[in-house]
Amino acid sequence: MDIIAEHPTTTWEAMPDGNVFYRRLQLYTIPGKLPDLDDFVVAGCRNGGPIALMRDSSRIIPVGGTGHTFPKSQIQVYSPAGEGLLLLSWDQGKIIRFGWTADERLVVLNEEGVYRLYDLQSDYQQFSLGSEAAEMGIIDAQIHENGLVALSGSLSLLEVKDWEGSRPLTLANPGLSEPPHSWAVIPPDQNISRHVEVLLSVENTILVVDNLENMDQRISRGPFLRVSPSPNGKLLALLNYNGSLWVVSTDFQRNLAEFDTQTAGAEGPVNQVEWCGNDAILVTWNNLAVLVGPSGDTLRYFYVGATFAVTEIDGVRVIGQEVCDFIQKVPTSTMSVFRPGSTSPSAILFDAWESFTRRSSKANESIRSIRPDLAAAVNECIDAAGREWEPYWQRRLLSAAKFGWGFLDLYNPSDFVAMGQSLKVLNSVRFYEIGIPLTYSQFQYASLMHLITRLTSRNLHLLALRISSYLSLTPDSVLKHWASAKIARSKATTADGEDEGLCQVIVDKFEKLGNGAVSYADIARRAWEVGRAGLATKLLDHETRASDQVPLLLTMKEDKLALLKAVDSGDTELVYHVLLHLHKRLPLGSFFRLIEDGGERLAPASRLLQVYAREQNREMLRDFYYSDDRRVESASLALEEASRMTDQAAVVTSVKAAEKFFSEDKDRSFEAKMMDESARLLTIQQQLEKDSDGKVKFFGQSVSETVHICLVNGMGKRADKVKAEFKVPDKRFWYIKLHALTAIRDFVSLEAFARSKRSPIGYEAFVQHLVEAGHPKEASTYVVRCDAPRRVELYVLCDDWRAAGKECKERGDKKGLEQLKKRCPNSLLSRELEIMGTSMK
Amino acid sequence: MIMAATSAPSSEFLTSSGLGRDNEQSLDIEVLKDAAKKALINALNSVNGAKTLVLDPTLAGPLGLVTEVALLKHHGVDKMFWLEPGPLTSTTTNVIYLCRPLIKYVKIIADQIKIHSKESLKHRYTLFLVPRTSTLVSRILEEEGVLGDVTVSSYNLQFIPVAEDVISLEYDNAFKELWVDGDETVIYNSALALDVLQKTYGQFPRIIGKGDYASKLATLLTRPLPEQPSVSVDPLTSPAPFDSLIILDRHVDMITPLLTQLTYEGLIDELIGIKNSHVEIPLSLLNPPSAPNPENPGASLPSTSAIITPVLNEKTKKHVLSAATDPLFAELRDLNFSSVGKRLSRVAHRLDEDYKARLQAKTVAQLRDFVGKLGGLQTEHQALKLHTGLSEMLVPRTRTNLFSKSLEIQQNLVASYETSAQISAIEDMIAQGADMQTVARLLCLASITTGGIKTRALENVKKEFLQAYGYHLLPLLLSLSAPPLSIILQNPPPVSMSPSVAVNKLPFTAIRKSLRLLIDDNPEALEELENDISYVYSGYAPISVRLVQCVAQKSGVISNPAEKVSVDTPDGKGKGSASKKLFAHPIVGWKGFEDILSTIPGQTFDIVQKAPAATASRAPSISSLLRPHEQTTTTAIFFLGGCTYTEIAALRWVGRQNRGRKFLIATTGIVSGASLMKSIANDGKRGPGKRDTTI
Repeated sequence: MDIIAEHPTTTWEAMPDGNVFYRRLQLYTIPGKLPDLDDFVVAGCRNGGPIALMRDSSRIIPVGGTGHTFPKSQIQVYSPAGEGLLLLSWDQGKIIRFGWTADERLVVLNEEGVYRLYDLQSDYQQFSLGSEAAEMGIIDAQIHENGLVALSGSLSLLEVKDWEGSRPLTLANPGLSEPPHSWAVIPPDQNISRHVEVLLSVENTILVVDNLENMDQRISRGPFLRVSPSPNGKLLALLNYNGSLWVVSTDFQRNLAEFDTQTAGAEGPVNQVEWCGNDAILVTWNNLAVLVGPSGDTLRYFYVGATFAVTEIDGVRVIGQEVCDFIQKVPTSTMSVFRPGSTSPSAILFDAWESFTRRSSKANESIRSIRPDLAAAVNECIDAAGREWEPYWQRRLLSAAKFGWGFLDLYNPSDFVAMGQSLKVLNSVRFYEIGIPLTYSQFQYASLMHLITRLTSRNLHLLALRISSYLSLTPDSVLKHWASAKIARSKATTADGEDEGLCQVIVDKFEKLGNGAVSYADIARRAWEVGRAGLATKLLDHETRASDQVPLLLTMKEDKLALLKAVDSGDTELVYHVLLHLHKRLPLGSFFRLIEDGGERLAPASRLLQVYAREQNREMLRDFYYSDDRRVESASLALEEASRMTDQAAVVTSVKAAEKFFSEDKDRSFEAKMMDESARLLTIQQQLEKDSDGKVKFFGQSVSETVHICLVNGMGKRADKVKAEFKVPDKRFWYIKLHALTAIRDFVSLEAFARSKRSPIGYEAFVQHLVEAGHPKEASTYVVRCDAPRRVELYVLCDDWRAAGKECKERGDKKGLEQLKKRCPNSLLSRELEIMGTSMK
Repeated sequence: MIMAATSAPSSEFLTSSGLGRDNEQSLDIEVLKDAAKKALINALNSVNGAKTLVLDPTLAGPLGLVTEVALLKHHGVDKMFWLEPGPLTSTTTNVIYLCRPLIKYVKIIADQIKIHSKESLKHRYTLFLVPRTSTLVSRILEEEGVLGDVTVSSYNLQFIPVAEDVISLEYDNAFKELWVDGDETVIYNSALALDVLQKTYGQFPRIIGKGDYASKLATLLTRPLPEQPSVSVDPLTSPAPFDSLIILDRHVDMITPLLTQLTYEGLIDELIGIKNSHVEIPLSLLNPPSAPNPENPGASLPSTSAIITPVLNEKTKKHVLSAATDPLFAELRDLNFSSVGKRLSRVAHRLDEDYKARLQAKTVAQLRDFVGKLGGLQTEHQALKLHTGLSEMLVPRTRTNLFSKSLEIQQNLVASYETSAQISAIEDMIAQGADMQTVARLLCLASITTGGIKTRALENVKKEFLQAYGYHLLPLLLSLSAPPLSIILQNPPPVSMSPSVAVNKLPFTAIRKSLRLLIDDNPEALEELENDISYVYSGYAPISVRLVQCVAQKSGVISNPAEKVSVDTPDGKGKGSASKKLFAHPIVGWKGFEDILSTIPGQTFDIVQKAPAATASRAPSISSLLRPHEQTTTTAIFFLGGCTYTEIAALRWVGRQNRGRKFLIATTGIVSGASLMKSIANDGKRGPGKRDTTI
């Protein structure tokens, strides 16, 4: 197989200034596989993706010309190698625009604002831009990898993000009076603001619109026919009516290049202005493509007929009648190794290795001469290998690298191994039957998972699986896709054995290859969608994640099972999901029965329902408690409602209702009695308020508070009456009265009260409370009525040191007096106490 | 002289606080804070342009621990409002709501949107739910007819570091939701948060715990949970990988929160109240002693507190109690309040001497040296002033008749001394007008410790309770006595009561003996040296912490590990005794205590987790070389339903006794008996009035 491939430099061409090289790699030859692109509207997918073709209805095509004619309402998808991948028939409104998402789905948008996302198996999801868009109609759109911006009939801009069917956002009003000459979108991930920017060519200028504002860039060089942002969103290529191409930074601050396309010598109108990586622009006509370099220098490439160019991050892919080419700036590492006359270490290393294979002694010399840079040279050779298309040269470069690192003391070969693996994968997907001409940098950019998805979406499961296991990835996504495809393809039969067999095949494969970590729910859903309920149930039994299981069970109307699984999962969110779903769907009676029949196992669900209903749906909660004879809960609910009411009569009614509920339960006689008291109290309070002409608020206060309020407001008789009515114990009553009279500073009444009978709470309480309330003088008068041994301390508490001293003296407590003297706050008092002490002798 | 004087505080600080003990590295929990901050910024940035932020008031506290107002402002927040009933006036097109997925909030939001659309104001609404989105919320928005106007998204705020060894979910109502409403959302959210913890710091090799809900949580953790974004700290370089996770649910030890906390921080929480690490104190305590001091971040954080205190009465200010910015607090927080005064005066003396050093400064160099330290001294001075002031606020409250009476009843109850007399003592307290929470706590305590209150006595005291505090509290009493809470029971139980409840009674007297809960301490020792975790309640050891000791420090349950060191003076504890400390024993589950555990109601579990396939190949090989003699490990303790400051103090004490084991205390929130009672009694009355939190 080792035919000597052409030297890499044969594909190179230097820009006229001689410093920059571009190369054109022929990826595939595709003679006669594609129709004449001139008659079609084309959309290409990045990263070596397919192209979609739809007949351009504005062109007249001779019937039976090339045999490639197909009706207007069809979209054809071809791989870059010219293989037909998909044929879509469109039965909706007129297609406005189609394009590709990052994950290789085809977006088709029609004039009614309906858009569909087709995968390569022609399965689709359909979304809409909303009713407003449908009314106004959509006249144009720009589709980028992660969203689209549509221009509605009313000339406003609608943005859709992320292909999840999210609600479109209206961007700032561009204030257009007619559709723009041309326009473009810079995707969110390429802007500093991380929000989408729209560039509109209006009259002579460019408007930049995002979701906040509309900014006129005040340019006078328009109007522009083409607006084309570079892949990194930093630069713009603008083509105006006189055919002048202008390259400028997206903030319009830096002019980079200008080029007059009329000097290119092409006939007819410009077809496309596409970027080649981030540093050159490809302008195409029929039969000709001109590459405009950074300084305005050009390279010319000739093609037969119309071409279609797809911008890639590291170059541009050109699809013509005969060939599919890739044009890019020669990568630095390749340049360094292969540039004629290059003396870079990597070039010398490569040369040394070639000498070595020829058994020439020059090899040793060469290696010696680059000894200090050898590691860098090895790395460069590895990198250059990644940039080569031909396996022959990849292998040679890697061999050179391996040869070089043999001279190094310490070298980490992981880059080498990784590159070898990557190239093996890349070469296999570049094979024309697969037809994904992915370059190494695109592969790095788009990730391996992305590649795997692309393979599975082409039903290339075996290759995807091999690559997964080769690079030790988990094969989950591949297996999942395989199973869905398997189910979709297999004939739906009624025989149960069929389901069993298929389920077994899938389970076996999953367990063998997927370490049991694959989700069965998605596959079960797929089975359900294609009408295989039996298979779905069987598959679902293998699912361990309830969050995946439950929604499907609900769709399958397995209500009880769904609720049980949700409760078992412990995820209350999931339980709510099921409950709310069932509450909507089932009649209330059977809904309650479902929960109640669940018994202890469904108790958490029942409690969650109560939490929800208490806030949102009290009517339902009342029914729920009632239907289940839950008297205590019913009563509590009534009380809770009472606490939220403002109308007094309603409160009393609610409390009485609570009493009734309690009285129906024989174990709740105490609670019933309390509620009876409560209702009585409320009635009394209403009366009290009436008697005080509404000046004093009683309603809703507790018994103690009611007594207190009566006393504070001089309604002593009423207080006594309330006390009697509710059998308030003497002790509590005395405290309440003590506190109340102190609060209104009615010390006379307090004194009278204290003398009314022997205090059930003692008199120390009087002293302490008065002191705490800040009346030590009044407090001190009650000390004599307290227990003798406590008096000294109590006097001290009242700040009455003299009395304390006297007390000591009367009791002949000399030691106590000494103590007092030590503790007393000032010398004057201390002196007095001293005198008292001396007089004691 | 100067050197000696200034080095003293740092060494003391090392020994008495949990901060830098033994110089063993612990897990870097700041990672969690950074992740929370980054997630918030991403959430804000996802909405382009200036925005009005409408904030759930209960989230303000937690958010204040993660971010500051300047950061929000930097990311386009123009104005902030509390999420409260009433119309919303927004000057920006974008309105962001940030709240927990509670139905009442969603209804407020729906109302505000409806008002806007009636006035045909055009706004773009984004709703961020914490910690995750909810179908319930979407459903209610749909029922209210505004779902189409709102973009619903989530802000995954999980564990927030509240101290260097404590992380909290800051759910205020976790306890009530679990044991009163039966809403198990907290368990699932806890599982998610713990899973993120595992992903960040490495797997819990073993999950041990006690309690029915705790067991549910553990089961959830062993099952596959949905993917969540998390930062990952390489387990190989992690300074102290997990050796186990101990899950305790609050119901296993209801006694502890019912008792009055007696540590400094605990007492502040009891008497003044600490909310999200913030305490409201008079402004005068916060003013710097002299000119404003730029190096003084601990005294006042205007930016952080602005988010929480928009408009408040002039006199008080919220202050963050944080050991990181206030070393004196680190020293004080875990002390029994009885020894705080002494410690303060010691610090005051030292500070005084430090200031005097100025007089000894003779040369210019010495003077410059002194001036260099001046900033530090002033910070310390300010801290001293703050804590002296706080202590002065606390002392009179601890001297009241009711406070001491409540303590006395508590002590008698845990000692089972004249239990029936305690019931009448509680009635007396009702008569004297003690506050509702205190009485309810005592009542529950009486029921738990005695295994139920005699029917007649119970009905009497309940009647007193309702008459004194209002009949609307009947649902509170019902909740407290109904399963699964069942902390007010009658004895004998009513016939209709299911027998399972009777079985679930805590055999308190037996446990008191087997777990050595009550320590006959001598007050002398207590003041100087904490010799058992029981110091936190002046002689009573919390069951929860004893249970942790059953797993992580088995000898501590049987005897006081500190007794051996008690010959050392507390000051000499530093490096001298550190070397004497025993190395922590490996985690072997409940071994040795199975019998005792089986008598406590609630499921007991001990699950050994399989290491995930990816890390299994390499992780053990290296760590097994180090273990058990070199590698310090971290034992995570999760309190489902909240824990008290006192328990944290006790756990820190346990952690100080051994080398080689760190504790990471995780909880759904910090609770106290009062906050539990308040949340259960919550009767839905809320004050109206809208406050503008303009920055």
